[in-house]
Amino acid sequence: MPNAIEIDQLKKSFGNFQAIGGLHLSIAHGEIFGLLGPNAAGKSTLLRMLCGILSPDSGKIKLLDMDLSKHGEKMKQHIGYVAQSFALYPELTVAENLHFYAGLYGIDDQAHLQSLLETFELVAIQKQRAGNLSGGYKRRLSIACALVHNPQIIFLDEPTAGIDPFTRKELWQQFYQLSNAGKTLVVTTHYMEEAERCHQLAFLHHGKIVAQGAPEVIIASLQHYAIFQITTSGHPAWIDALKKLPQLILLNPFGHQLRIITEQDIHAEDIQNFLRPHSNETIAIQRVEPTMEDAFMTLTREAATP
Amino acid sequence: MNPILAIMKKEFLQLRRDPRLIGFILFSPLVLMILFGLALKLEPDHLRMAYVDQDQSMFSELIKTNIWNDGYFELYEVADPQAIIDHIRDGKARAGLLIPNDFSAKLMDNLQPTVQMYVDGTMPSLATAMDNKKHAINDASVSSDMYFLDPDDTSTIIAPEPFLLDVQLLFNPEKRETWFFLPGVIGVLIMQISLILTATAIVREKENNTLEQILVTPIRKWQFIFGKILPYIMIAFADFYLILAIGWLMFDLPIPASQGMLFMLASVYVCGLIAMGLVISTLSQTQQQAIFLSIFILIPSILLSGFIFPIEAMPNYIQPIAYLLPFTYFVEIIRGILIKNNDFMVLLPNFAALSAFAILFITISIIRFKKTLPTS
Repeated sequence: MPNAIEIDQLKKSFGNFQAIGGLHLSIAHGEIFGLLGPNAAGKSTLLRMLCGILSPDSGKIKLLDMDLSKHGEKMKQHIGYVAQSFALYPELTVAENLHFYAGLYGIDDQAHLQSLLETFELVAIQKQRAGNLSGGYKRRLSIACALVHNPQIIFLDEPTAGIDPFTRKELWQQFYQLSNAGKTLVVTTHYMEEAERCHQLAFLHHGKIVAQGAPEVIIASLQHYAIFQITTSGHPAWIDALKKLPQLILLNPFGHQLRIITEQDIHAEDIQNFLRPHSNETIAIQRVEPTMEDAFMTLTREAATP
Repeated sequence: MNPILAIMKKEFLQLRRDPRLIGFILFSPLVLMILFGLALKLEPDHLRMAYVDQDQSMFSELIKTNIWNDGYFELYEVADPQAIIDHIRDGKARAGLLIPNDFSAKLMDNLQPTVQMYVDGTMPSLATAMDNKKHAINDASVSSDMYFLDPDDTSTIIAPEPFLLDVQLLFNPEKRETWFFLPGVIGVLIMQISLILTATAIVREKENNTLEQILVTPIRKWQFIFGKILPYIMIAFADFYLILAIGWLMFDLPIPASQGMLFMLASVYVCGLIAMGLVISTLSQTQQQAIFLSIFILIPSILLSGFIFPIEAMPNYIQPIAYLLPFTYFVEIIRGILIKNNDFMVLLPNFAALSAFAILFITISIIRFKKTLPTS
């Protein structure tokens, strides 16, 4: 069975800015595929090209084994798109928004629309105006609207941005159900825990894929590095000294913790010894397992370093 | 910083980042002020006046010469008295003059003959201006040559005025002010509603980010455009007849013999305006810009179309601008239908011009939309 999405040598520039540079990607049917990357990495641009609302400069996109440039109109019946912003009509009610989008696809299946309202827990608020909804419910409605025509491929641009963890978890359960039903989902995200929930990930930087694979594979790519964690408060003077550690790859302050990513051949004691001239007390340093955030930070850093 | 100052600073910064809006703010008052300053005069000159001189005497020549010299009217001859009225009805002349065949005979007998003047009563400024102009036509300079003195008593003028001037206001004999303005007001109100509603409707989709979501669906561009504008066409139509009904019921506007022509006018005018609104929406990034652009069309339409100020009173080099405004033709047609009871053939050139505008704007809007909307 061919892949749901095949991208070959895709390029897109805006003036002198290259948003996507020769991208190659394959996404299997039923997969939840995460596009991870810092801001301006090209995630939204890629998504908009996959939806057919932005023309690539060159390259090929095949959706469901059909060339998007030739069958763009036909493909629209098979794809759903949830934009980063809530593309809803604030003056219309929840049900009216859903019926409007159903109308654009010529769909009049009331039972299906009712089931969408139920799935996304919108039944009780179906008569409320979309403009008065909380961020979480706006997002539920946006996703429901993108599913009115039962698409095979669903593109979700940061679908859980600005949403509480509980709603996020619920939405992900829906994504898994869609995936189990054979739908292919492409999700852009900044959230590491969200990235970890994807079946496959591609890490984008400046319009290029710098790492790709299952989340555990991406995390495992840090095996050539050592990760340490220091719990600290404030900004002790030795932090500046730590930045001069020869084996240091990345220093990532995170709340009361410091994540230190270094070359493999270094131990916690080596760092303690290095810092001793700068600190009167012994600093507790702990070697830890890499996380997705470590991978994100390291890959971004590596990609940015010429 | 003072919170008021902070908000003021933010407003100025936002304005500065919107070059189109700055353009409108600085450019439009400048252009409109200069344009209106040059164009707007209540007193027209060189108005076309159809005349019939049945007397063909030295005295009738004297009257015509006096009228010529005044510069207010441009005289041209027509075949018979009915032709004078027909020419005014058809818009070929704004005024008419009939010098009867017994004019000089009566003058010589001191019987105070009457010279008949006709004025287009649908032109508000012309009707009022004629009251003043009456004196210029039979003023002392012309009258003095027509006094016939009693040969026995040269100090006595037998008739105080040698001849009388009777001004007849055609099509609006009672000089009803509502008849002057209401037909045009209908057009202004429809223009305001249609232009601003349509111009902002699509920009609002852009601002709400709903346009992108719609373009992902299988809807075709033409379906989107038609779906967008048809409700506004219906609203504009409903408004047109609602405003007309108020005119008929409350202000005694005449009910025209031809409802078909009225419907045709509404169709062509509304379609043209909606298409113009669409063009504005493709040129605007924000609703604010769209409203400014609409007003930039609305104000000159009101002031330069002949609706209030006669086009004939404008300098020759500004008059073409009036003919670039669809509203100019609307005013001519609606006055023709409601007040003058014109035949369709008389109004045909105006209908043709209005239709041409509608076709032009529909074409531009389609071309502009192809460029503005992303690929589909």
